[in-house]
Amino acid sequence: MSFWDKQPYITFVPFVMLFKLAWRNIFRNKRRSIITVSSIIFAVIFAVFMRSLQYGAYGNMLKNIVSSYLGYIQVHKQGFWTEKTLDNSFSPEDITYLLDHENIGYLSYRIEGFALASKDDNSKPVALLGLDVQQEKNRLGLDKKVVQGEYFTNRKTGILVGIGLRDIMSLRLGDSIIFLSQGYQGSMASGSYPIIGFIDLKTPELNKRTVIMDLAQAQEFFAMPNMVTTAVLGLKNDNWEETQQEVIARVDTNQLEVLNWNEMLPELQQLIAVDKAGGLFVLFILYSIITFSLFGTVLMLTEERSFEYGVLIAVGMAKNKVIIVAILETILMAITGIIAGLAFAFPVVLYFNIYPINLSGQMQEVVEKYGFEALIPTSLDPSIALSHAGIIFFIVLVVNMYTIVKIKRLEPIKAMRR
Amino acid sequence: MIKVTHVTKTYDDGKVRVEALRGINVEIKNGEFTAIVGPSGSGKTTLLNIIGGLDTPTEGNVIIGETNIAQLSENQLIDFRLNHIGFVFQSYNLIPVLTAKENVEFLMLLQNKSEAERDERTTKLLKAVGLEDQINKKPNEMSGGQQQRVAVARALASKPDFILADEPTANLDSASTANLLDIMYRLNQEENMTFVFSTHDQRVIDRAKRVITVEDGKILSDIYT
Ligand SMILES: Nc1ncnc2c1ncn2[C@@H]1O[C@H](COP(=O)(O)OP(=O)(O)OP(=O)(O)O)[C@@H](O)[C@H]1O
Ligand SMILES: [Mg+2]
Repeated sequence: MSFWDKQPYITFVPFVMLFKLAWRNIFRNKRRSIITVSSIIFAVIFAVFMRSLQYGAYGNMLKNIVSSYLGYIQVHKQGFWTEKTLDNSFSPEDITYLLDHENIGYLSYRIEGFALASKDDNSKPVALLGLDVQQEKNRLGLDKKVVQGEYFTNRKTGILVGIGLRDIMSLRLGDSIIFLSQGYQGSMASGSYPIIGFIDLKTPELNKRTVIMDLAQAQEFFAMPNMVTTAVLGLKNDNWEETQQEVIARVDTNQLEVLNWNEMLPELQQLIAVDKAGGLFVLFILYSIITFSLFGTVLMLTEERSFEYGVLIAVGMAKNKVIIVAILETILMAITGIIAGLAFAFPVVLYFNIYPINLSGQMQEVVEKYGFEALIPTSLDPSIALSHAGIIFFIVLVVNMYTIVKIKRLEPIKAMRR
Repeated sequence: MIKVTHVTKTYDDGKVRVEALRGINVEIKNGEFTAIVGPSGSGKTTLLNIIGGLDTPTEGNVIIGETNIAQLSENQLIDFRLNHIGFVFQSYNLIPVLTAKENVEFLMLLQNKSEAERDERTTKLLKAVGLEDQINKKPNEMSGGQQQRVAVARALASKPDFILADEPTANLDSASTANLLDIMYRLNQEENMTFVFSTHDQRVIDRAKRVITVEDGKILSDIYT
């Protein structure tokens, strides 16, 4: 007597036999089984690679944003983002209490203004940025982007100039530039500042029109002591959605606006949304094709095997067991296809994670405009592979509903009549 | 013991009405070797299907042992067939992906019989039908006669009360027919296994101990030889 015989309710032995039947059935029509398994392999590779690339792109973008000039969340005077004038500014003291929030590590203040820069008889409009140079050095690694001269290490005076502007205006280290602008509340702003370094912000767009100075100097230039236009929230973790909501709840939203990167970069967000929708559409087509081809297989299998199912039921095999044999056949093929597909997809995804794909075209332009690298490493998030394996498995289960219903309704003498 | 009382079977698809059986009363005792004969369309298959619980009578009862199978649910009926009735089909109907041995073992697996019991009985049955040297062959590697002998062994494996065979020799040549009949006859003599089979073949009819003739869905004659 074996162990199993003492456990009549455990039907392990029949299960082994059911499995054997299903397994051998797969090899009865090798061609069809190969086609079925290959289509699953293809679907898994395609879906996993495509999604890994997409999510990798979004992930990389987010990573870029944390460390970007923009940050995840900014606070401004209400209306600043749509009308960027210095009159839409506020006092840092109004929001220092935000530091009590557990996810906010620091607040980095800025003045973001415009000025006309002149050297000799050469004039250009520039973005004049007053930054907390110590804070931004840590956050953005701005000091590492200085290609000539030095960062504000020992001094807080002078200016850093983008290398594009340098080339256009033929500037050299130590030259002084005269700035003219409208200051706070209509005042006249002017001043002359020496160039202490040239900075490469990685994108031509920014390099052509950026001038950076220390916040205090900018406040003096624009005649707006103790006022800023922008506060970047330094987040401790990536949970920006929740943090934004909590910040909104704490500030007086009649006075201040709290915007996240999505809201500040609607163009980028739109691009992501379009891209995601496109991805979903492609996946929808892919899975529709897979569903129909699997359904075709299941249909053929059920028709072909119904004589045998009739015999099995006639000689006394419970319908539930016949159903197990029938659906195991496609389930085993699906599992084989899914595992093989994942096995093929993994090295491909890994390769493009290590050697990222270079973006091109519209996407590259937009991404670079905001100072991000136009590289996309694929995402290695295992949930992508798992979810697509799960979707295919689910489709297999769904198309097998046909088999289940067919067998439930099967009458052996009808099925055995050829 | 099989007791068929007042059984009628009417097929009615809305357009055509066929009275396949019109009041059958018959009793088959354990150990019989009974042939059901009659012209084509007389109702032989219908009667065997109803006795075997593959089809339900329009009227009347079929009592097997103590059980009125006309009252069983579909699943109970399947289970009843597994444990009480052996089937031999005209076209053998073995499971194509299983070997001779596995085909015979199959129903015992469904009955949760132990491996030792399965092995012993499979060996014994395949020997009884003269196929001890073919145990690992798949159906498509065997002749029709060999396949039908495997089918007989399969029908016996579950230790049924009786075996129903609808024209078991119709696809066999005369040598295989004689061989199969010898085996069935011997099993009947030595093991007291009850056989009920339908046939057109005079040589098969000649071997039966009882011949029930059906015509137009009624029993025309019932003769013990
Ligand atoms: N499912 C069905 N639907 C309608 N009529 C049927 C059905 N099955 C059998 N019949 C009819 O019932 C009658 C008896 O058929 P049955 O198959 O029992 O005859 P049989 O004696 O086995 O004939 P054969 O010797 O040709 O096998 C026939 O007229 C047949 O056409
Ligand atoms: Mg018939």
